[in-house]
Amino acid sequence: MRHAPHAAYSISRSRALLASLRLAVLSFLADPQWLVPSMIAPVIFGLVAYELFLGSGPWFVIYAILGAGMMSMWGQTLYGSGWATGQDRELGTLEPTLSAPTPYLYVVFGRVAWNTVSGLLGGAIVFVVVAVTYGHPLPIVDPVAFALLFAVVIVSLASVGIVLSAAFVYTRYAGFIQNVGEFAFYVGTGCMFPVVLLPFWTTPFALIFPPTWALDALRYQAIPGYHGLPWGFAWDLLGAVVTTSAYLGAAGAVFRRVEHRVLEIGDLSDY
Amino acid sequence: MPREENRTSFWRTLWVNAIFAPRTSLGFMRVDFVLGTVFIIPFTQMVFFAFVAGLAGNPGSSVAFVVIGNAVATVTYSSIFSVCQTTDSEKQAGTMEHLLVSPANRFALYFGRGLIPILISLATVTVGLSYAVFLFHAPLAPGALVSLAISVVLTSFAMVGFGLFLAGVALYLRTSIILGNIFLFLGLLLSGTNFPLASLPLPLQWAGNLLPLTWAVTAVRASMAGDPLGTLLPLWGLVSASAVASVAVAVVFWETFERRALATGTIARF
Repeated sequence: MRHAPHAAYSISRSRALLASLRLAVLSFLADPQWLVPSMIAPVIFGLVAYELFLGSGPWFVIYAILGAGMMSMWGQTLYGSGWATGQDRELGTLEPTLSAPTPYLYVVFGRVAWNTVSGLLGGAIVFVVVAVTYGHPLPIVDPVAFALLFAVVIVSLASVGIVLSAAFVYTRYAGFIQNVGEFAFYVGTGCMFPVVLLPFWTTPFALIFPPTWALDALRYQAIPGYHGLPWGFAWDLLGAVVTTSAYLGAAGAVFRRVEHRVLEIGDLSDY
Repeated sequence: MPREENRTSFWRTLWVNAIFAPRTSLGFMRVDFVLGTVFIIPFTQMVFFAFVAGLAGNPGSSVAFVVIGNAVATVTYSSIFSVCQTTDSEKQAGTMEHLLVSPANRFALYFGRGLIPILISLATVTVGLSYAVFLFHAPLAPGALVSLAISVVLTSFAMVGFGLFLAGVALYLRTSIILGNIFLFLGLLLSGTNFPLASLPLPLQWAGNLLPLTWAVTAVRASMAGDPLGTLLPLWGLVSASAVASVAVAVVFWETFERRALATGTIARF
């Protein structure tokens, strides 16, 4: 009998997650034009970077693709997940969702899961556009390793998205952080250039973000002679796994704290 | 015809819309957004492209070239993205029908909404160019300040005019976000912001020449380089022409879509 409530909670949580995922998919299918805003900037940034790197050697096309692909996934995961919280607040559904027995984290997980998939789709579109513009076979030495490490980058991005989603429950400045902080994040994670080019004092800040590690590892794998963070590929990969795990672990704690806090204050419905 | 004393004057409509639109229908107009648009976005965007240009080492796209281009291009947030949302915000709020049946002068009604964005655009380009000169050491010719100021003012008018044009198109659309996003970033590719326009295929160069941002960036670069009046005047003419053309086409769109909205009764719905 003691286990019954836990089993019920478990079903409730998985149902909430699946329902959230289903709703995210249906909302996307009902209005797929939302892929366009998050795609335009990355495709254009990819083409601009391609033009800038033109004549700098075949490996630089990888910079354009990785950077723009990451921008696309960033757009989908952060905008999709974070904005959903803002919309909940605007439509007045955040309060009932948070006061439901199922933790809000599972609702966010469902959205992030779909946004990660659609982010991948966006990344693939960026990849194709830049590759077609390049007009030659891409110089990818090991496509399988490239794809696996690309997946690591996506998960690392999603972990940031989840933590920020929690923070966005707390703040009414989600839109501000997303829009104004966008380029700062691209600079801080070195999404289109090695992060070691930034001033030395910025490195500790850059290393806080899991995608910094994951992208550096991916470049070590994809670009021969790449000079990134001094500790090299293996430590980069380990750093990516550790920071991503830390973010995912922190996300649960942050969500619990945020949920308690907002229920105490009771001002969630204020927009 | 309403009696003369009941008619709202042109100037009152212009002023009321200038004051109220930033609080109601324009996007990106909260104080935090405005401060971010003026001070943070130009800096972070310029740093991003400066590092990319530095890594690429492309002689046609030096860091100075790129930072000046991006200092001007960041104006699109306050001019295009903000202004083009004015019509679909009205639709979303359910106030478009009331607006369409009001006797207010349409030019005053819409252009008034662009006045505050023009001021914010002025501030954005000025701050961006200050970053370019003082932080990135972009060259500024002695005695170029007056011509630069003229270029910046014309740029702000032209870009807001283009935003109003997109708002006119958005009157027919369900949402302007797609348009706003397209033109927010398209300029980075087609206007010579980050590399000379000549390096693009010819059809894209033609498309780029239709954007006010292209001429604005060229005029600002020429002003900063201290080019003579003979070079600057045609560029200023082109920036002004793009502003006038944008607003003129916007007026035509508003009139056309308003007639259609009144005839069908559906366009004003969100």
